[in-house]
Amino acid sequence: MRKKSAWIVFGVTMAVFLVGFIFPLLLVVRNGFISPDGQFTFRYLFGVFQNPIYLEGLRNSLRLAVGTTLLATCLSLPLAWLSNRYHFRGKVWVNALVLVPMILPPFVGAIGFQQILGQYGALNALLGLDVDWLGRGRWVGVILLQSLSLYPIMYLNVSAALANIDHAMDEAAENLGATGFTKFRRITLPLMAPGLFAGGTIVFIWSFTELGTPLIMNYTRVASVQVYDALKEIGGNPFPFALVFVMLVVSVSLYLLSKIMFGGKAYAMQSKAATTFTETRLTGWRAGLALLPFLLVIFLALLPHAGVILTSFSAPGGWYRSVLPEVYTTGNYVEALGHNMTVSSIRNSLFFSTLAVMFNLVFGIGIAFVVVRSTIRVRGVLDGLAMMPLAVPGLVMASGYLAFSSQISNSELVRNSPALLNLFDVKTNPTLFLVMAYGIRRLPYMVRSAVAGLQQTSAGLEEAAANLGASPMVSLRRVTLPLITANLIAGALLAFAFSMLEVSDSLMLAQREDFYPITKTIYELFQLIGTGKYLASALGVWAMLFLAVTIVGSSLLLGKKLGALFRV
Amino acid sequence: MAVTVQLNDLVKVFGNIRAVDHISLTIEPGELFFLLGPSGCGKTTLLRAIAGFNEPDGGQILIGDRDVTKLPPHKRDTGMVFQSYALWPHMSVAQNVAFGLEMRKLGKAETQKRVQEALEMVKMSDRATHKPNQLSGGQQQRVALARALVIHPQCLLLDEPLSNLDAKLRLEMRTEIRRICKEAGLTAIYVTHDQKEALSVADRLAVLNGGVVEQCGAPREVYRRPVSMFVASFIGETNFIPGVFQGGEGERVTIDTELGTFVSTAPMSGFSVGDAVMISLRPETLRLDTPAASAPNQLDGIVHDSVYLGEVAQHQVRVGGDKPMNLKVFDLNPRIIARDGEEAARVWVDPSDVVVLPAAGKGVPAP
Repeated sequence: MRKKSAWIVFGVTMAVFLVGFIFPLLLVVRNGFISPDGQFTFRYLFGVFQNPIYLEGLRNSLRLAVGTTLLATCLSLPLAWLSNRYHFRGKVWVNALVLVPMILPPFVGAIGFQQILGQYGALNALLGLDVDWLGRGRWVGVILLQSLSLYPIMYLNVSAALANIDHAMDEAAENLGATGFTKFRRITLPLMAPGLFAGGTIVFIWSFTELGTPLIMNYTRVASVQVYDALKEIGGNPFPFALVFVMLVVSVSLYLLSKIMFGGKAYAMQSKAATTFTETRLTGWRAGLALLPFLLVIFLALLPHAGVILTSFSAPGGWYRSVLPEVYTTGNYVEALGHNMTVSSIRNSLFFSTLAVMFNLVFGIGIAFVVVRSTIRVRGVLDGLAMMPLAVPGLVMASGYLAFSSQISNSELVRNSPALLNLFDVKTNPTLFLVMAYGIRRLPYMVRSAVAGLQQTSAGLEEAAANLGASPMVSLRRVTLPLITANLIAGALLAFAFSMLEVSDSLMLAQREDFYPITKTIYELFQLIGTGKYLASALGVWAMLFLAVTIVGSSLLLGKKLGALFRV
Repeated sequence: MAVTVQLNDLVKVFGNIRAVDHISLTIEPGELFFLLGPSGCGKTTLLRAIAGFNEPDGGQILIGDRDVTKLPPHKRDTGMVFQSYALWPHMSVAQNVAFGLEMRKLGKAETQKRVQEALEMVKMSDRATHKPNQLSGGQQQRVALARALVIHPQCLLLDEPLSNLDAKLRLEMRTEIRRICKEAGLTAIYVTHDQKEALSVADRLAVLNGGVVEQCGAPREVYRRPVSMFVASFIGETNFIPGVFQGGEGERVTIDTELGTFVSTAPMSGFSVGDAVMISLRPETLRLDTPAASAPNQLDGIVHDSVYLGEVAQHQVRVGGDKPMNLKVFDLNPRIIARDGEEAARVWVDPSDVVVLPAAGKGVPAP
């Protein structure tokens, strides 16, 4: 890659990041530290720590994050280890299925989860008990649900880390007399620590700031919900921004800590196995035994969504103190999909997500090219910057964009121009900021998959094209892109799925009904008295089905197995 | 159209290493020119600079009368054969070969005709629809060659094209490459670290060491008359004997060494009496047959180890009394075989085979 074009890509990307990422974050910080008369103050920050309600919210968020991370680790570690060491019948399938919860929205699952584990739910009906399994505090339920949807991220990271451990390391340990748990504790665990910590960091940040699941589970005493509620109020209350600032500091510190400790070598779904273990082949009952934990986790993870499906087919009020719904109907679908809000929201989500994916493709490919193929010194900066959105929660970004939007809309120029207002004011039209939010937050996945693709494609192939007279653009189009198509499609699908099911930004930025994306509509439907959860479930099922068809369809078109798509 | 390729005072620096250190070379039209040297000598850097994949820090590259120094690779009109072949895996053999013609916007019929011709030239026409990963290494190599040739480049660049092939195929392909280049009348620059390849195929070659050209000339000239210890030891095998230049009359000079006085009639650069020099004796020029009584350069020694290879025996001969020294001697059509034990022998060398070199030189491999 020529220096000049590398610098152009670098410049454009920096500009987009400054405007779309850094500036909104600065606004969050500013709004939390500047009083109405323009004075810098620590009053709001101290206020957060003096207010018992905010303190409790932060404490609860921390508890959710720690619990979710630990549980997700416990779920994924044994599975990753089994899959790394052994080969057994059905492994290919469970390896793919185990990742499916990643694209199932946990906040929709929460509806089904309550139907099953709630005090009047299926489990109690089955056992004839009257226990409130989710507990009075509800936080146990939130942890369970979040870890059941976030463990695939751990699984991918740990698998990649395990796969990168040289078999000889293990054999050397055995040769010197370490076996079983000692070997695992002294050799395997330290070697896979970077992957474990990287996955853990992402799960922690994610669950620390998760908005949708606590909201649906009606667990309101967490920082994320407090921020959401406070920002809905009209008028510039600075306290939520100070609270967001605290969350940002926690997230970024953790991210940087893992970068410093492990040199950022093994971040989310990035590493591709260089050497693989010689897998031991299991047959008969041993194979069954290895399969069992997979099936158990998959069952547990899909259970909430099974609950959602049942709810969606249950007549309102038809699933109460019974194992299965007693009255079935398709009426929920008719009503939910026929709702004005729904039709426009499907169109909106498709539109926003498509734009976001296009944004991701353009920038992902550009950044990957500079990182892999150029020699400019700052390419490391670009690589690090593109990964930064992993450290910044959607909630924080959304707060930043809200502040950004009101900042621009309050200017004389924009206030008097309907066209500009339409572009910049989220209350008028949130398209620009939603697409930016979706795009920037999923950029790391796209960059990672494009980088992986380019690293596997020898630069010699591009040089051969240049040598035969292909200009850089032609060689990109004719040689490079066709060769990394699979990686690009995998990254794009992941970005698309995440955008379609994005919660925090969607709930906070979409404020006018005709611009609601699907997730916000699901939440609004959920709040309808009486039929709410049934309609929300119906739309949730439709969204999941749509995504499943999209992903399976694309993977069939590409002739690839489902699992291969996610092994980015 | 064969053209001259000219490098003027080329410099390329990586960090604090001068990979190419003021190199000037002129490659004549239609010449098959080799860049030969150990790894890290700068030969590949030089070739990639000609192709445009790295921009030199100084100097000038002319292809024909075009100054291409600042031109991007795709405007240089060179055809390159990569070490890894770099065949595009998503295109068929024919599509790979047609690519360069497409870039030159040739018509469909013309493209097809030339692809067919090129594949015939490398004897691959029956594989046109195959994908590269369905081909063996040798076949991939031929396709890579066809892809570079089909555009009728101004100059063909080959980057260790045979290094990934097995020994037998390598022998076959090197004569093949020479045939094709000569048939097409191309100016070609060929990078290799394999001296046999260079000696057998090149019209001329340049021996590179540490980013500079140590010697440039026809193969037999470089082999028979190396100008430095590096060249003498890098190409072929040799015995070095340190000595002091004593001068002489006309072409006939003498050199004093610890093994006695040597007489040389080989051409050499101007030494002064008393200069420290190094005598280089090729193992195959050392003879074990009976010399004429008056012949100079005779040494008495003991054959103490031999490796018998059929057409040749490689002897280790110990010479010199109190300061013994080993000489490698290649005996063609060998008769004496001292496999076990030792055997006395008299070794001699013709004065025209005694090469006298400056004693100092950089990067001389240990003997």
